[in-house]
Amino acid sequence: MFHTSSQRKHWMFRNEEEIIKLRRENVTMYADKHGDSMQVEDRPLYFLTYDEERLLCRHYEHLVRDFCRKFDPPMPPSVLGTSCAYFKRFYIHNTAMDYHPKWIMYTCIYLACKVEEFNVSIMQFVGNLPNNREKATELILNHELLIMQHLNFNLTVHNPFRPLEGFLIDIKTRVLHIADTEVLRKKAEEFIYRSLATDACLLFAPSQIALAAVLHSASKKGVNLDKYVTDSLVGKGNSDTLKQMVEQLKKVRFMVKHIEPLNPTKIQELEEKLQKCRNQELDPESQIYKKKLEEKLLAEEEETYIKRQLLSEETKRSEDQFLMSV
Amino acid sequence: MDDQYCPHCKTTKYRNPSLKLLVNICGHSLCENCVDLLFARGSGSCPECNTALRRNNFRLQLFEDPVVEKEVDIRKRILKDYCKKEEDFSTLREFNDYLEDIETIIFNLANNIDVESTKKKMEEYRKANREQIMKSKGKLSKDEAYIEALVEQERCEEEEKRQMYMLQKTEEKKKKTRNREALIDDLMFSDQNVEDILATYEAKSKDVHRPLGYGSIPITVPKPATKFSSGIRVGVRGDENFLPIPKLEETLFIYKAVTQKTFGPAAPSSQEVETLGYTKHVRPASPQGIGGGYQSMLACHRAMQDAFCGLFYVPEKSPSPTPSVSSTISTGSDSTEMDVS
Repeated sequence: MFHTSSQRKHWMFRNEEEIIKLRRENVTMYADKHGDSMQVEDRPLYFLTYDEERLLCRHYEHLVRDFCRKFDPPMPPSVLGTSCAYFKRFYIHNTAMDYHPKWIMYTCIYLACKVEEFNVSIMQFVGNLPNNREKATELILNHELLIMQHLNFNLTVHNPFRPLEGFLIDIKTRVLHIADTEVLRKKAEEFIYRSLATDACLLFAPSQIALAAVLHSASKKGVNLDKYVTDSLVGKGNSDTLKQMVEQLKKVRFMVKHIEPLNPTKIQELEEKLQKCRNQELDPESQIYKKKLEEKLLAEEEETYIKRQLLSEETKRSEDQFLMSV
Repeated sequence: MDDQYCPHCKTTKYRNPSLKLLVNICGHSLCENCVDLLFARGSGSCPECNTALRRNNFRLQLFEDPVVEKEVDIRKRILKDYCKKEEDFSTLREFNDYLEDIETIIFNLANNIDVESTKKKMEEYRKANREQIMKSKGKLSKDEAYIEALVEQERCEEEEKRQMYMLQKTEEKKKKTRNREALIDDLMFSDQNVEDILATYEAKSKDVHRPLGYGSIPITVPKPATKFSSGIRVGVRGDENFLPIPKLEETLFIYKAVTQKTFGPAAPSSQEVETLGYTKHVRPASPQGIGGGYQSMLACHRAMQDAFCGLFYVPEKSPSPTPSVSSTISTGSDSTEMDVS
């Protein structure tokens, strides 16, 4: 249930500005850290700016939707919703320059499959990728724990799809003047899919998105549901809550209506820029990363060696003591 | 002892675990209840052999075989009269003959052989040796005196041990208090490091706790004797008393219905989902599903709840606590090397 969930406690933001602020901080912090030698004015030329990073992330969110729709075997929509939520949550506290969105995206989808009980093996999963399956397997499995950690292990996501079903059932049961409620379904689902391209899931409750979808679809089809909302759902005498809810619903619809289109040529440029400015220490293909990994492994080995030596000395000493006492 | 039973009422030990068999001079056993019943007037005859018996001559049957019981009884009686000692005879041969005589008498009486003549013989003997019998009545035999002495000695030893133990205990206590006082004095007036002082006293007090050093007298905690040197067991009883089961005082759990803020209109309850016709609009459960415990009501109810909760929700404050990754993350997988801060 949403009201007791970690989604409500940790992943609901008051307004868009709050999210933007966090994302901006990430980008500037990265630039500050890695651009010590540069003039402040030159940094935007080398590093991704906030807008550029956003555009890139939105591009990858779009790819998430594409990948999920074409996935074989077909996925339930909740997997798509959950993967999008993971992806968005991840980039609230991280930048695309630290973690390349390509692998984060695949790992989010893979994780969402597990959480939503859509059973695919890793082999089946990478079978949907065009090439480089071996490498992909390794990268996805390597990133999985990392992502869970960054999500603070809040893995349950409440999607708007089930509330939509609920509203349709409710309308069928309680609003008898509509001949066929099923006509509302197609447009409403489309609305929810479009909402995944926005930050709606970080700002609104899933049931609010679903109701907005139903109302949007009803207005398109010329069905009047005002009475249902005011009387059946809210009830009379609750004008304050009604006002608040309608305000929220309006915000959702505004958000979904005003999605900026993506610009493919610009994205191509940004990809190249990202290749240059991304954190080499976190790039699994870079020499620095490999070197670091090797060092870490060596250090670990040494540590275990020292530990073992200490242990053997300890046992030797205690044995000697024992012999002396005997 | 399994087939112990009363020959009169046929009660067995198995049916009545508290069965107590009593025996009288004739050597036939009776259970306690039967004795109460048959000898209500204080005397009567044995139901087996018609011997006249007194009620207060009944005693607990110690041996499984009542015949043995009878023999023991007779022996006791006979030995009261035949109480000559080895010193009373000039040769060992004579004393042995005398003992043989006693055994013959006991055997005859116990097995009802020549009872009359044996009794006569006993009467004669009693008359002849009346004086000696009277004399030896008050006197303890040599063996008895020896046993008495042993018991006394054991008691003394025990007392001594106990006193020593007590002494040692008080000594130890005194030493401890003295030590503590010295420590406090040191702590108050000495200019040494506090930790050093504490360490030395720690070591000292450990010595105190080890009173069984080479110098001190070893103490053995006296074990409660279960056996005298004479072989008689004391302090052991068949029915062991177990500790009573401790009673736990607990307040009873009182159920309070959980109320949750759902941020939305109340969803129909699971009964209402069915009665108000919500389930008509969902896919009916398949027979396999029903077999597994699924009902269409469940899915319907969940959809309704999900639709209604959070409908009026407006985030009031920013998420708390923000999962700040840079500080909490430790390396989990190979690629978790962080430098976000």
